[in-house]
Amino acid sequence: MKKIIYFDNAATSWPKPVSVYRKMDEFIRKWGANPGRAGHRMAVGAERIIEETRHQTAQFFAIKDYQRIIFTLNCTDSLNIGIKGLLKRGDHVITTYLEHNSVSRPLEGLVKKGIITVTRVNHSEDGFIDLQELNKAFTPQTRLVVIVHGSNVIGSLQPIREIGKISKEKCTIFMVDAAQTAGVIPIDVERDNIDLLAFPGHKALFGPPGTGGLYVAPRVDLEPWREGGSGVDSESELQPKELPFKLEGGTINTVGIAGLGAGITFIQKEGIEKIRQHEMELTKYLLEKLSEMRKVIIYDSGDGEMRIGTVSFNVEGLSPAEVGAILDESFGIACRTGLHCAPYTHKKLGTFPEGTVRFSLGYFNTREEVDFAINSLTQIVA
Amino acid sequence: MQANLNRYSRQILFSEIGEQGQRKLRDSKVVLAGCGALGTVIANSLVRAGIGELKIIDRDFVELNNLQRQILFDEEDVKRNIPKAIAAVEKLKKINSQVKLEAVVADVNFTNVEALVEGAKLLVDGTDNFEVRFLLNDACVKADIPWIYGSCVGSYGLTMNIIPGKTPCFRCLFETAPLPGMAPTCDTAGVINPIVNIIAAIETAEAIKYLTGKFEALNKDLITIDIWEGSFEKFNIADRRDKFDCPCCKQRKFEFLEAKQGSSITSLCGRNAVQITQKSIGRVDFQELAERLKKSGEVTFNKYLLKFSIDQYEISLFPDSRAIIKGTNDFSVARGLYAKYIGT
Repeated sequence: MKKIIYFDNAATSWPKPVSVYRKMDEFIRKWGANPGRAGHRMAVGAERIIEETRHQTAQFFAIKDYQRIIFTLNCTDSLNIGIKGLLKRGDHVITTYLEHNSVSRPLEGLVKKGIITVTRVNHSEDGFIDLQELNKAFTPQTRLVVIVHGSNVIGSLQPIREIGKISKEKCTIFMVDAAQTAGVIPIDVERDNIDLLAFPGHKALFGPPGTGGLYVAPRVDLEPWREGGSGVDSESELQPKELPFKLEGGTINTVGIAGLGAGITFIQKEGIEKIRQHEMELTKYLLEKLSEMRKVIIYDSGDGEMRIGTVSFNVEGLSPAEVGAILDESFGIACRTGLHCAPYTHKKLGTFPEGTVRFSLGYFNTREEVDFAINSLTQIVA
Repeated sequence: MQANLNRYSRQILFSEIGEQGQRKLRDSKVVLAGCGALGTVIANSLVRAGIGELKIIDRDFVELNNLQRQILFDEEDVKRNIPKAIAAVEKLKKINSQVKLEAVVADVNFTNVEALVEGAKLLVDGTDNFEVRFLLNDACVKADIPWIYGSCVGSYGLTMNIIPGKTPCFRCLFETAPLPGMAPTCDTAGVINPIVNIIAAIETAEAIKYLTGKFEALNKDLITIDIWEGSFEKFNIADRRDKFDCPCCKQRKFEFLEAKQGSSITSLCGRNAVQITQKSIGRVDFQELAERLKKSGEVTFNKYLLKFSIDQYEISLFPDSRAIIKGTNDFSVARGLYAKYIGT
């Protein structure tokens, strides 16, 4: 296979640090047993690594009680566990038009069943939500504010600390979808006033697909909707009440979580600021080059600091799917096209239903790759 | 002679069949893959000849341009916009109520082909593309079901019998499919009905021979006919199986059944479109394909893509033969369009 330029890090980051591959290989060979279900050395060893990773992940997000992080399949899983485990009949939810389907669909499902009501707060053209409108959206029934931290379409970054503060004042639970930010933007659940933090393992945290996590603040009580084996308290007829067991029924993805741990270690060693700086420099360079091109329309959140390395655009005269196929086929550039699972955002942008071409840059992308992509696009529009 | 065999008296009088042969026909289950030009002629003849059971598989709906050659359909079927398999079964029931008929409206692919051919004594080919024939070949060789290949385009057609383990199989002759877009199809090069009738007639005759147990009478060659030029040729292919280490019938590697060969299809995020990609990659000659397609619809191309519009659909084809088909979310429709206009 010819060399690939990977610009689809918003979906899943690739490549991973070599230490992630090594850790997973080592783990499955040495500790491939079931964690916490037996007393033999392999089971104990597996559990030790899972608990180390839990601890490490908690520290990474400044979570005091590491048992309040549960491991999940992915960010969608985390969001579902949080949303469906929290909301009760009659609750009101505030959200935005920038959400991914992993938030919109669970909410819409509950709306259709007549269980909750939802208010969506508008955002500016460059993708920042209107905080005044947010303030006015609260009702006595508002139980949850759920907001995507970084837009996976236009890359805008919401001021979660401020939103969290507003939610706190209104005695509402604040849930953050950190799908695009966990690993590249520092998140501190205490300072940022976050009650529920949903994050994927396979994006900027450099873990493999099939990993994710959910932080549950002490003041939040979630009903489990997956019950089963926990390895503790087995004589009890019901799911244990303690975290993480309460929400983590069944054998978890041990090898994936070991890989996730190695991914977080990589970030800690490199430094999250350095990673962020590299991605921003590259993103600004990409934006600068794209904006010089004729026939290219950028849908974007500007070149300020409140953004991430995700850039959406279209090419006049070609559908996004066609541009994506040409980039892949003729130039070896992997990117995502279409709606990026965020239909509301595209309706607002006026790019529904065709969507956009999305370049999402990661730490391992280079300036040369951006140059190559720009050169390729220049040939396509010629 | 039993009363219910009376209707076949003229066929029974034919000494090669006789009453015994007729009973064998009555006891046999045949699967017909594809019910277009060849398929309707074959189904019509086999049902009239009195086979016991016929399963008809087709994914398409009856269209006006089918009526020129697809003998079981009429203008009423076009108005009703019904699937070909259903329309055919409706018509055939009126022709011979003794035959058990089953219509399957489906796209034959690696997930369902084995179940579709299961229990058949014989499969007859009325399909329109290489990929599905490779699939049918894999499924039939694996399950030891004989099948009769037939195809035509323009004024030209060909047919052969495939008896697993005894004769060369389809893959012994055609190791791989031609590159997408590089072979003419009925929708790009046209087809006239006499060649359809003659190839379907040979397929039917071979089916009757096989089902009545007259194996020695079966054709052993690859027959090719050009009805316009008046050429009738037979190619001896008997040694093909000995000379070629066929992945399918010799090595018993069923690559199409296991989806290691062939195309794959995915919905594209958020739009009324699907993408078809081929596993074996080659470069498509846009110039040549555009030349062929321009008779059927609007076509433009550059170095990177070829766009072809037909009815409410648009096909964007890329040099590695992947295609984005706009205007549908239905995989069957998309595969049908690909087979008809690009061809595999």
